[in-house]
Amino acid sequence: MHTFETFTNNILEIKDLSLNFKGNNPDTLILNHLSFSIREGEILGLIGNSGCGKSMTALSITGLLKSDAQIKSGSIIFNNQDLLKLNDKEKRAIRGKEIGMIFQEPYTALDPLMNIYHNLEEVLIEHETLSKTERHDLIVKMLDRVGFTNSEEILNRFPHELSGGQRQRVLIAGAALLKPKLLIADEPTSSLDTVTSCSIMKLIKSLCDELNMSVLFISHDLSTVGNFCDRVLVMRTGEIVDSGSSFDILFNPKDAYTADLLTKSKFDPKVLNLTFNTPDKDAEPVIKVSNLCAGYMDRKGFKRVYKNILEDISFNMLPGEVVGLIGSSGCGKTTLTRALSGLINPKSGTISTPAGRLAVVFQDPGTCLNPSYSVYWHLAEAIRAAKINMTKEELKAKATDTLVSVGLEPMHLDRYPSQLSGGQRQRVAIAMCLMLNPAIIIADEPLSSLDTTSGARILSILSSINREFNTSILLISHNLRIVKATTSRVLVMNEGKIVESGNTQDVLTNPQSDTTKELLDAEITLHKNFSTDRLAIE
Amino acid sequence: MNSRKYNKTYFIVGALFLGIIVLSFILSLFGVGGDPETTSSATKLLAPSSSHIMGTDNLGRDLFARVLSASKYTLFISITGVLVSLTLGTIIGILAGYYGGWIDRVLMLLSNTIMCFPGILLALVAVAVWGPSLFNVIWALGIVFSPSFARVYRTEVIKVKNKEYILNAKILGVSSLRIMAIHIFPNVFTQIIPAVVIGLANMTLFESAMSYLGLGVQPPKASYGKILADAQSYIRVAPWLVIFPAIMLVIYILGLYFISEGIRGDQ
Repeated sequence: MHTFETFTNNILEIKDLSLNFKGNNPDTLILNHLSFSIREGEILGLIGNSGCGKSMTALSITGLLKSDAQIKSGSIIFNNQDLLKLNDKEKRAIRGKEIGMIFQEPYTALDPLMNIYHNLEEVLIEHETLSKTERHDLIVKMLDRVGFTNSEEILNRFPHELSGGQRQRVLIAGAALLKPKLLIADEPTSSLDTVTSCSIMKLIKSLCDELNMSVLFISHDLSTVGNFCDRVLVMRTGEIVDSGSSFDILFNPKDAYTADLLTKSKFDPKVLNLTFNTPDKDAEPVIKVSNLCAGYMDRKGFKRVYKNILEDISFNMLPGEVVGLIGSSGCGKTTLTRALSGLINPKSGTISTPAGRLAVVFQDPGTCLNPSYSVYWHLAEAIRAAKINMTKEELKAKATDTLVSVGLEPMHLDRYPSQLSGGQRQRVAIAMCLMLNPAIIIADEPLSSLDTTSGARILSILSSINREFNTSILLISHNLRIVKATTSRVLVMNEGKIVESGNTQDVLTNPQSDTTKELLDAEITLHKNFSTDRLAIE
Repeated sequence: MNSRKYNKTYFIVGALFLGIIVLSFILSLFGVGGDPETTSSATKLLAPSSSHIMGTDNLGRDLFARVLSASKYTLFISITGVLVSLTLGTIIGILAGYYGGWIDRVLMLLSNTIMCFPGILLALVAVAVWGPSLFNVIWALGIVFSPSFARVYRTEVIKVKNKEYILNAKILGVSSLRIMAIHIFPNVFTQIIPAVVIGLANMTLFESAMSYLGLGVQPPKASYGKILADAQSYIRVAPWLVIFPAIMLVIYILGLYFISEGIRGDQ
């Protein structure tokens, strides 16, 4: 019955693989006697939260482990040879040619000083003996294949001149150039928006069919992967806890942990206890934005020119209201956040916040806290910045209370950002906002860098803040499931304008603008079988 | 884990080397080795022996006593010189990097102008105008070296100032001065440590060159560089005059280098 029974040969077989870092407790293995295989031509999904060992598995296969990682036992059989027993030269011959890899962050994976042609040519020079024209033709053909319509032009561009999605396409083209038997994709879509993710996933799938390539697809998002993979493995603390066809995993999870991940990635309001205040329609708005235009100075050659990003933005938010803002990358969401929070001055139009303070929670948990200071310092700094007089004891008590309200322990007060996980850092950033009892919190993609479990936790915390303090929340996201689960009203942005707004349910069931339709299409392709009941579409 | 141990070794070796210099500084304070400035025609250019363990120079002064006392001036000039240029460089670099725009352009124009001239020439002119004294040497070298620190700071500040924690501080209403001093400074300071070490070493070498030209430490006082410069004419007849201060100079600069490697590896 299952589709995967039609695959016969294993292309890669991992047997009893154990790995640990030097100096770690020898009982807590990073990879704990891991065994699985990838069949010829299949797409295998490897799912798990941050730190579960999924990237370590990928690095073990490609032989790119850092020197402090030690393989304790096991073997990785690829093409009848044990990859772990090869020397560096033999590994290099296989890497790129037989096993390709693409990474999460497409920007850092391309050399910024080389144009796209030279970036792609490197791999051909290393592994093939081709003439210059043959290399050129092969690269152009592959760029056409991954969906560029202006391949010749793209060749001369530099990585910074391409968007995130285009860069990821270039990387896929680079990985596919040598027609590897196995492609390892480590979270290739996590830093991309829904529309781009969807097209990248489709591309990988079609390349896989065409070149008869196997894919190991690593992700933290079970729901996204389900539709694209033939089989799915669920990983937790270095062990595989569940495996099966993606249909089985999505609909009849055998393991409790899989079921939990599945529930959380649905962002079901009832399960996560996401209930929000109903705003009073007649109340005075907490923020009024009218005819806002804003942008920044940009360099064009040697000239400095003003680049307008936001055009004629107008909206209001009521006290306690939760509003979603959706749109693809580059639509001006970040510029809007900066204009609202006063980081850039508007060119024209007004922003008024009669009810008081506005706070922002940023996207990147890696840089949201100052690495030189403890959590307590961060919370105290918010009070100092607002010039509120408090005794040391009051401050300590308030900091402890606030930290507890975002689900952290008082002991975390003395921790430094490097000692916290991404989700914990994001919660400290929320606690910093809460110290000042803001009237509005702007949350700019707060979940996009977090795994499902931490993301669900952040949403619950935001909803409890809304209930308890009647704080308005502007939730910026490209994830329609999250917006659907949390917001009552939604604004859709495209190219710096608000193209559609209204009741979330109405907008998502009966979209009027092309932008919304496009976002919904991508959402349906990514999550069909999965979120139809949530979005009431299709 | 392995790499950390390696860096610790670097740090310990560096600390031992610097310890030798600091020890000789302390010994000189207690007058060990006798008076470094007493000349005697009876003991000219003696080779190392039990009574003069490093030998004597052309004026019959005990080289051991002179090397010990030279550590005092070398340490003093290089450390205070670096402190002066670090303070100036920090202020200029952070202001330029943080504000950008015309403030950046004016400040960087100033430091680039200083950098255009050969540093030693500028320092010489300054000392020639204000007269050769220990404090003028320090001021002159401090100003000449400050642009190199300012540049490192400016680059680091530009990298950090758009991080989300700095944006958040601005949104919270923290004043610009406080953002620069409390939020940015601790995050860029560690990056300057290698530059400080190179600065100390360069400062020592510059000071030697200036002493050689008679515009640095004034005789009969001596720094390592001054002793080396004085010994140049006797290098064939009395090589110990070069060897011992040179060894001390190498120990000092290597010690600094090892310590910077040790610190950098632990980050």
